[in-house]
Amino acid sequence: MASAITASTAPPSGAKHSVLLLRRANDYLAAALRARYHVLSFYDSGEPLPAFLAASAAAEPEPPRAALVVGGGAIRVDTAFLDAAPYLRCVVTTSAGLDHVDLAECACRGVLVAGAGEVFSTDVADHAVGLLIDVLRKVSAADRYVRRGLWPVQGQGDYPLGSKLGGKRVGIIGLGNIGSSIARRLKAFGCVIQYHSRRPKDTVSFKYFPDVTSLATESDVLIVACALNAQTQHIVNMEVLEALGEDGVVVNIARGGNIDEAALIRALKGGEIAGAGLDVFEKEPEVPTDFFSMDNVVLTAHEAVFTTESRSDLCDLMIGNLEAFFDGKPLLTHVLPK
Amino acid sequence: MESLGVLLLHPMNAYLEQELDRRFRLIRLWDSPPDARADFLRSNAAAIRAVVGNAGYNADSALIDALPALEIVASFSVGIDRVDLAKCRERGIRVTNTPDVLTDDVADLAVGLAIAALRKIPQADRYVRAGLWKAKGDYTLTTRFSGKRVAILGLGRIGLAVAKRAEAFDCSISYHSRSQKPFPNYRFFTNVVDLAANCDVLIVACSLNAETHHIVSREVIHALGPEGVLINIGRGAHVDEPELVSALFEKRLGAAGLDVFEHEPFPPEQLIGLDNVVLVPHVGSDTEETCKAMADLVLQNLEAHALNKPLLTPFSGKRVGIIGLGRIGLAIATRVEAFDCPVNYYQRTKKEYPNYTYYPSVVELAANSDVLVVACPLNEQTRHIVNREVIDALGPKGVLINIGRGPHVDEPELVSALVEGRLGGAGLDVFEDEPNVPEALFTLDNVVLVPHVGSGTHETRQAMADLVLGNLEAHVLKKPLLTPVV
Repeated sequence: MASAITASTAPPSGAKHSVLLLRRANDYLAAALRARYHVLSFYDSGEPLPAFLAASAAAEPEPPRAALVVGGGAIRVDTAFLDAAPYLRCVVTTSAGLDHVDLAECACRGVLVAGAGEVFSTDVADHAVGLLIDVLRKVSAADRYVRRGLWPVQGQGDYPLGSKLGGKRVGIIGLGNIGSSIARRLKAFGCVIQYHSRRPKDTVSFKYFPDVTSLATESDVLIVACALNAQTQHIVNMEVLEALGEDGVVVNIARGGNIDEAALIRALKGGEIAGAGLDVFEKEPEVPTDFFSMDNVVLTAHEAVFTTESRSDLCDLMIGNLEAFFDGKPLLTHVLPK
Repeated sequence: MESLGVLLLHPMNAYLEQELDRRFRLIRLWDSPPDARADFLRSNAAAIRAVVGNAGYNADSALIDALPALEIVASFSVGIDRVDLAKCRERGIRVTNTPDVLTDDVADLAVGLAIAALRKIPQADRYVRAGLWKAKGDYTLTTRFSGKRVAILGLGRIGLAVAKRAEAFDCSISYHSRSQKPFPNYRFFTNVVDLAANCDVLIVACSLNAETHHIVSREVIHALGPEGVLINIGRGAHVDEPELVSALFEKRLGAAGLDVFEHEPFPPEQLIGLDNVVLVPHVGSDTEETCKAMADLVLQNLEAHALNKPLLTPFSGKRVGIIGLGRIGLAIATRVEAFDCPVNYYQRTKKEYPNYTYYPSVVELAANSDVLVVACPLNEQTRHIVNREVIDALGPKGVLINIGRGPHVDEPELVSALVEGRLGGAGLDVFEDEPNVPEALFTLDNVVLVPHVGSGTHETRQAMADLVLGNLEAHVLKKPLLTPVV
């Protein structure tokens, strides 16, 4: 397609732009990148990160001006990283969470950042609703019960009753794209939506709570849908769980670090809350075995975004952002420091 | 009410059992050993005037025959496919069920099972509990639920509740039911195979009867295909189970979420080992809140029966839809209630009638009624309130009764619908151009025509005349009018 890059930034015709790839997976997205760009892959280089970044400065035909990174991994785009790669002008990340990118430092240096935008919101919202219905209506537990052959043994009408979703007060922590998508879905089930976020949103009519404990006090369900940062680390702690109460349910599709996991386990064991649906944990893929004997928790493997549709949408978005950057056009999902 | 002997067929709910024991004379069928059942029934037959059953155990032909004093079957379920309705009708036995109170729970489970099946939540949970996330890495990619094409078999209360939820996930909605419903955003299919061929997720939400037995056949399963998902929250017998099992096993069908089975509590052995199915033990309405509401309905229906009051949720009578619940409409409602007809209504503003079901439009009222009665005043808004759309919604088995005014109905449309069989029948007291009655109606076998005689009794005409005279006198004597029209 015709591009609007100035001569000074374009590579020699026929050559591809260089792109740093700091992502382990060798898949769909990696193949799409290699088809379009000269890919310098950190995990394939076998070198330590500082050496790899230094060596990339000498890449032909030009040093990589863009880098693609993932979230939740060991690599942080911080001062040290940016110092070691001064040629970078754009960082594109595949995750919805941005806790691994120092947005202020990037902004300072004029390094553009593109996030995953709303690409994952739909699937994460669907997964959150699926987890909530599963916990309230005991879907996974009932499936285990049937597969163990217990239905004929314990007879009709003996399986413990679940709890009705309609009319439940659902407290959403973080009303961004994901939180809003969850709200919209649960409204159709007759839930009452309320929320906590850093500031109230005047575009919604849901009741706002200035802190999570007061939200929990007046909620039957808490859904964690906020970013992970210094302020939201363990935002759901023992005090919040006690405020939620013994009929309360927690669903976490954000980050393991948003919940004090040890407190959650204590609360579940002590009957302080009724159940939990968890897609994320503090030390993935290690899941505390305490959960394994609990029938009132549902555990999934940080997979809320793992659908073929999201994979394809993400790939299109990442490529779209890189192309926009190299064409001198606005990024599709430009992220600014808050 | 201790004289009302109630036979409870199976343990089904502790609260229900305890209240039946407290309020009536409770007889538990399982108190007798299975081989002594006939004797047990015989010795209790004189006392048993009511039976409480559920989805799995209900008043079948043999049981009804064994209970000569039976007056009412109050089912702890909305589906009453296991009640011998024909025999009940023959014997004059009243039947009640538990509609509406469980609609939300069943619809919630249907969507929950669809998400669970597509996103493989129970399977992932198993994977994590087995320590495989750590040992083998990430769980498999699945497919998105939002935006999938959702098809619903049966667009009754539960079907509609499923549709409303699926719409919040941007799913497109299609359906099949006996007649087309007034929802232009939902695509109607006249046959189930085409419905299945044009969707991603097929949800069974119709009632079970002779026509819907094995409605999900081999052909339908084939049309659904290797990417398709079947969700059954209806009855096991809706689906050809052996075909379903082999299709899932051979991956000719993508996945299924099943709450019901042909031979509960025995789901097919072969399903137990499969990874592309979610199995739950008939828990569609099994929440604390809903079971209590269902039990209360059963108890209230039995009390109403014992006290000779109208039943709250009768199943037996034709569904009567009344347009306008003013004095006349209400009088009609109380009369048809005595025939165990469920009463539906439409009027400008919804009022609090706990036993009558409100519909927000005449078309929806017609779609959910067997008999539609016009009982509202005639004015600008109600002229032709019964139009072609309403007549179509009432359908080839529906009956229209007009005791309002001729212009309430689009008469040419009515006539052609009756002539063409698009409307089942009509009883008409009023016409658009009295005393002229459309001649096409005279040869029809499915209409009853009377010449505006609604108030034509000696007593009433006398009372009406007295009112007219009384009003004139009051006017002349400058006293307050008796019946001024505001």
